[in-house]
Amino acid sequence: MNERRPSVRLAIGNSSDIVTARQAARELSAHLGFGKAHQTRLATAVSELTRNVIQYAGAGSCLIEDLSDPGERMIRITIEDHGPGIPDLTLALQDGFSTSGGLGAGLPGVRRLVDSFHISSNPGLTRIVIAIRKPV
Amino acid sequence: MKKIPILRLGRILLVSIQEDLTDNEAMQFQSDLVNKVAEIEALGVAVDITALDVVDSYMARVINDTASMVRLLGAEVVICGIQPYVAMTLIEMGRDLIGADCAFNLDQGLEMLRERIAHRGDIRFTGDGDE
Amino acid sequence: MPRIGIRDPTRMPMTVSLSQHLQTHRDEILAEWFAKWLPADNSGQPGWASPAQTRHIMQTLFDQILSALTTAPPDQLPDLDEQAPLCVHLRHLAAEQARNPEQATDPLRLLFSLRQLLLRHVTAWDRKSETLSMAEPMLRLDRYFDRIALFAFNSILSLRDRHISEQNLSLMELSTPVLRLWHQILLLPLVGIIDTGRARQIADHLLEAIARHEARVTVIDLTGVPIIDTSVAQHIMKTIDAARLLGSRVVLTGISPEGAQTLTKLGIRFGDVICRASLRAGIAEALMITGKRITAMEDPAHP
Repeated sequence: MNERRPSVRLAIGNSSDIVTARQAARELSAHLGFGKAHQTRLATAVSELTRNVIQYAGAGSCLIEDLSDPGERMIRITIEDHGPGIPDLTLALQDGFSTSGGLGAGLPGVRRLVDSFHISSNPGLTRIVIAIRKPV
Repeated sequence: MKKIPILRLGRILLVSIQEDLTDNEAMQFQSDLVNKVAEIEALGVAVDITALDVVDSYMARVINDTASMVRLLGAEVVICGIQPYVAMTLIEMGRDLIGADCAFNLDQGLEMLRERIAHRGDIRFTGDGDE
Repeated sequence: MPRIGIRDPTRMPMTVSLSQHLQTHRDEILAEWFAKWLPADNSGQPGWASPAQTRHIMQTLFDQILSALTTAPPDQLPDLDEQAPLCVHLRHLAAEQARNPEQATDPLRLLFSLRQLLLRHVTAWDRKSETLSMAEPMLRLDRYFDRIALFAFNSILSLRDRHISEQNLSLMELSTPVLRLWHQILLLPLVGIIDTGRARQIADHLLEAIARHEARVTVIDLTGVPIIDTSVAQHIMKTIDAARLLGSRVVLTGISPEGAQTLTKLGIRFGDVICRASLRAGIAEALMITGKRITAMEDPAHP
């Protein structure tokens, strides 16, 4: 079995970091043998979430981890910021809701792109964890 | 900053986005193209995005807005070469991200533009356009 | 009292613990185990790796079990957490064998044969002191093997489950052929119950085919779909929208009255979709769009 790739933590501070993050996510998913559909969905989700970080919090981080084991390939990505947080999570996760005046696909759109999606948000720390997996 | 070349073919403009763009580069592309359309009074614009393997909602918005602006300036527009997985991802995020007309590739896009331009009243009336 | 004797540190060096005993006889036990598991003609166990590799797997298993027993406190069972080397090794072993139904229980059989062997070796255990209880270490060994076997069994089960869901996936692919009807026209006849997983699969499959063939029209026939529920309808709509982004149109045929109601409630936009009552009408429409038509041949025999 191949060794797991070491984790990568990227700082998110400006719009070129979005490109770096989504390309890193795509590259890892391609390396682990995920199909094109999975690769594209993951890279797009990372792009959306890191852009949210810049838009709402100014800066944050993106941690990309390879959690594969002999039976399953898995990538987990954790996106964090120390911004004001999302006041009403239930509302933010409803389809069609966005506070930025229609820009961006919003969280429900991103949630549909990945296999798992967890969010916790408080003033000072918002953390979103997404993952994709596939059997070997 | 990357600059995207805009090619001119008579009164049709061709743009092929070959690289992943940052947000700023995308905005630059939009204003360059809109200015060029106005400058030459273009009749048609084909934007080829075959090489883009990630189109997030921001990029989709830029493409869509650019298409609307071009239309307001009196030109036809077609988006060419959206990859199947990109299409599915965009639809998954929201159904209305791209409203412009689409074609498989530049070749079919150009054919579509020519056909539309040929049916336009201004062209039929003045015989403009075939230079 | 003997119980106090066990815990008296000054007397410990005098006694020989069970794991020490087994460690001393390691090579002997291993040789016996190999002889039991591997056929004498050196042909190897059917379905397993080469005899040399099998020996290596067994030796590793033995050493891991023994070292876990030695390092754990004598009154406790060794931990069996997911990341323990023994568990990783067992999962690996299960993964190797799970593909083949005949070999699926081999890891269990292997463990049971080792347990039997070890318990038999306990009878030869010279404790050097009567104060050291024989029954407790034996019971501990036995219980530890129960837990290892349970872990191995669970690993095998979850691998089989995964295997089954993979097969489901490939069945799905088989059951949704995308047919090339004519130049630039594809036909997707949908048959049977469509769940969300299958719907997604179909969408990806179809879009790829549309791009590959540069199909200008795809006819999706729903005659064979008994129920169009909300999620299926949503996926059909998404597929149609995505096809439009590629530069292709979709003709829907064979929608039932109930299906029509579901689709309408979801707000399907009729501007983009062409619907025809029958497959026949749908195909005629598709031909129209690509500028073709079917006509009768001029045949004097049938005026």
